[in-house]
Amino acid sequence: MANQGLDFAEFYREAKDKCLFTVLVSVGDRDTAQDLVAEAFARAWASWRTVSRHPAPAAWVVRTALNSGISRWRRRRRELPVADPARVADQPAAEWGGDGSVDPRIMAALLRLPARQRQVVALRLFLDLDTAGTAQVLGIAPGTVQAHLGRALAALRDDLVPAPKENQS
Amino acid sequence: MNDDELITVLREQRGKISMDTPVEQIVSRGRAARARRRLPGVAVALGAAAATAFALTSALPASHPAGPHNAKLAAWTVVRQADGAILVTISELKDPAGLQSTLRADGVPASVSFAGQQNPACQGYPYGGSQSQRRQLLTTIADPAGSPNAVVIHPGAIPSGAGLQISALFQNGQGSQGLVGVSAELVQASLQCTGS
Repeated sequence: MANQGLDFAEFYREAKDKCLFTVLVSVGDRDTAQDLVAEAFARAWASWRTVSRHPAPAAWVVRTALNSGISRWRRRRRELPVADPARVADQPAAEWGGDGSVDPRIMAALLRLPARQRQVVALRLFLDLDTAGTAQVLGIAPGTVQAHLGRALAALRDDLVPAPKENQS
Repeated sequence: MNDDELITVLREQRGKISMDTPVEQIVSRGRAARARRRLPGVAVALGAAAATAFALTSALPASHPAGPHNAKLAAWTVVRQADGAILVTISELKDPAGLQSTLRADGVPASVSFAGQQNPACQGYPYGGSQSQRRQLLTTIADPAGSPNAVVIHPGAIPSGAGLQISALFQNGQGSQGLVGVSAELVQASLQCTGS
């Protein structure tokens, strides 16, 4: 039992921040994301014998957190609060937590993506899952993951990199 | 900016948000989740014991001294526990009068209403106890879905002159389907409200 606690604590320390960021990008609200991730880690602790043998325990946590978010939505019969990208862009970085140096422009650009593209970006880039793992978590085909990622990167590039000004001469 | 540069910029953001919940708090929450998961098994066992006790009591001759009332219906169960506490679990909003009678017969002055207006004769009881004292009197228990569908009552801790008003509603307000939510509060005992 002591060993179980030690392993879980180590896993939590290593995975908590990337799980939080992944869920945050998916749900768009810091408090909601933190609560969902905390609940998912608590469930991971309660089933640690099983979860510790999962090929990607962090993916298990993220999927559990996202499923809990959907269940809450169904129970409350209303949408989870999702941050308005326009408002996010004007938000002080400190409001997103951490050391205050997160770029609100990037967060706003991520939140402007369609939900599925956001989830793919979060799992592929922030949780470091491969295409097959991302497809498994989201229940979609690997080809669809790649298509969503390609579209998301194109949209983010358009959003974040200003188009070169044409010569007005 | 090519894809690799963009991905690097995006990934840099990942380390800038940190989860500050201590692991001890996660473990504590995990223990609660594990306890909730085990509750249905305990409830089933208690329910089965209640059903057996009820059947045995019913089969005894009328002159046999009455034992503690354990009643089980599909809609709700009332189970007397070893420490004298009474576990009320509501799964369907049916027969509130039956539940009210059962509780009163078990010595709990109670008014029960399901999905409707509470008894207007009931007046709130000015309970000055602390949260911890309230927990010794009443504890609400949630099912695995997080819906509070059961309450544990400690009849001996109910203040003199007080009774309980127990209400149950569908959580999602959809009328006849959905999760049941149970609440209980202290009211002033009276013939019109709690029957005594």
